[in-house]
Amino acid sequence: MRKTWTIAELTVRDVLRRRGVIVLMLLLPTAFYLLRHNDSPGQSVRLLCLGLSWGVSTAGLFVAASARAVEPRLRLSGYATAQLYLGRLCALWTLGFALLVPFAVVVRFDHPWMRPAGIVLAMAFCVLIGAPLGLLIGGLLPRELEGMLLLLIVCALQMMVNPDDLLMEMLPLWSSREIGIWAVDEPDDLGYLLRGVAAGVAWTIALVGLVGGVSAVRLRRRAHVRAL
Amino acid sequence: MQDWFDVFRSALLRRGVPHATVRQVVEEARAHTGDSGEPPLSAFGGPEAYADAVVASLTPTDPGRTRAPRGDVLLRARGITKRFGRRTVLRDVALDVHAGEVLAIVGANGCGKSTLLKICAGMVSPDSGTVEIAGRVGYCPQDGGTIEFLTADEHFQLVGAGRGLGRADAREHGRTWAGRLDWADPGATQARHLSGGTRQKLNLTMSALSEPDVLLLDEPYQGFDRGTYLNFWDLVWAWRDRGRAVVVVTHLLAELDKVDTVLTLGESR
Repeated sequence: MRKTWTIAELTVRDVLRRRGVIVLMLLLPTAFYLLRHNDSPGQSVRLLCLGLSWGVSTAGLFVAASARAVEPRLRLSGYATAQLYLGRLCALWTLGFALLVPFAVVVRFDHPWMRPAGIVLAMAFCVLIGAPLGLLIGGLLPRELEGMLLLLIVCALQMMVNPDDLLMEMLPLWSSREIGIWAVDEPDDLGYLLRGVAAGVAWTIALVGLVGGVSAVRLRRRAHVRAL
Repeated sequence: MQDWFDVFRSALLRRGVPHATVRQVVEEARAHTGDSGEPPLSAFGGPEAYADAVVASLTPTDPGRTRAPRGDVLLRARGITKRFGRRTVLRDVALDVHAGEVLAIVGANGCGKSTLLKICAGMVSPDSGTVEIAGRVGYCPQDGGTIEFLTADEHFQLVGAGRGLGRADAREHGRTWAGRLDWADPGATQARHLSGGTRQKLNLTMSALSEPDVLLLDEPYQGFDRGTYLNFWDLVWAWRDRGRAVVVVTHLLAELDKVDTVLTLGESR
């Protein structure tokens, strides 16, 4: 456990020292929130969630890129693969939830008629899904630019696909959209909440599993190495 | 101009005296000259010679370095072949490195020296062949291998935790190893602000910190000044004398008298 916490602690420090990244992580959801703030409060909260997830997954992408050269050495010095990726995941979730708090407070006072628990839950799934999504893309694509473009495709699809289209239900942040509808537009229909939570849990588990799988393959003990 | 105490401190660190002991010895020397009013040069003589005397006094038994006899094989590679596309970079390469032995891998640019080292470290798979290792492996790349926004102490903490060291112990060990490369104050500088040579000192220190039995060093002296370069070879010999197996990739043929065995790649092709 100590090794996992060491990775988590040093990842948090690594991210916090990138001041430009922190500013942009705050700016992105803020800009999304303000975009439709006056004419469509519900849409502005959904965009806020999307911005939050985009910010966290971008941080995950950079964390994965930054760790890529060091992780094989850390494996040699005694870390298990799971300790490495779970440590980074814990760090990103911690940062994401810290980022969530001020936005949740703003929405609470800005739109007191919305369900606060629903808004927080929708944001929480954005963080829970965004962190492993960024790590996964960073693990699959070694170059940051390629990773950024793939992340952009995922987020753009999330924004532009018709809500009634089946494709929308297959996108990672559909869960946050469904919970958002329950919190903002349809407070009496629990179906939105249940579908949203189920999809959010499934995506979180699937993405964490995929990050683990990709890390295990990348940092595997090679078959040609044996103990003497 | 450097203060006598700074030179003395640096000399102790280079001789491998633990960081905490160095701090204590320097403070005692300062206190002595403060009390007596005598300049340190007349009280203790030259800082390098005094550092030798202190090191000798800290080593109660035989202070001379005795080389351990060559021991069992710690690293064995057989039939290593590696192709990149249609180009065969390594063909049926074999090597044995024993405990207490330094092996140099030499060869022209692009002959597969670094690839062979990565195959030995288990970071790259060969197309065929096996690598057998006894004990723990340490690997030092020729560049990269650090995290830009973390300080040297945090890198020590990161690697130290891998072998179960607490934060303070990891920092102490790391600073002691850094001192042996004439890097007196690793402290709070982030890796991105370090010069190329100092970054390599950090890389080398990280490799040493995990106390490996087999050390794989890929031209680790890039950017070292002459003094550090000589300290680096002192360090390699110290590892060898402690029964470690050391493999150094190099393209400098003048270094070959510093090693026990030489493996030249690309000769048969």
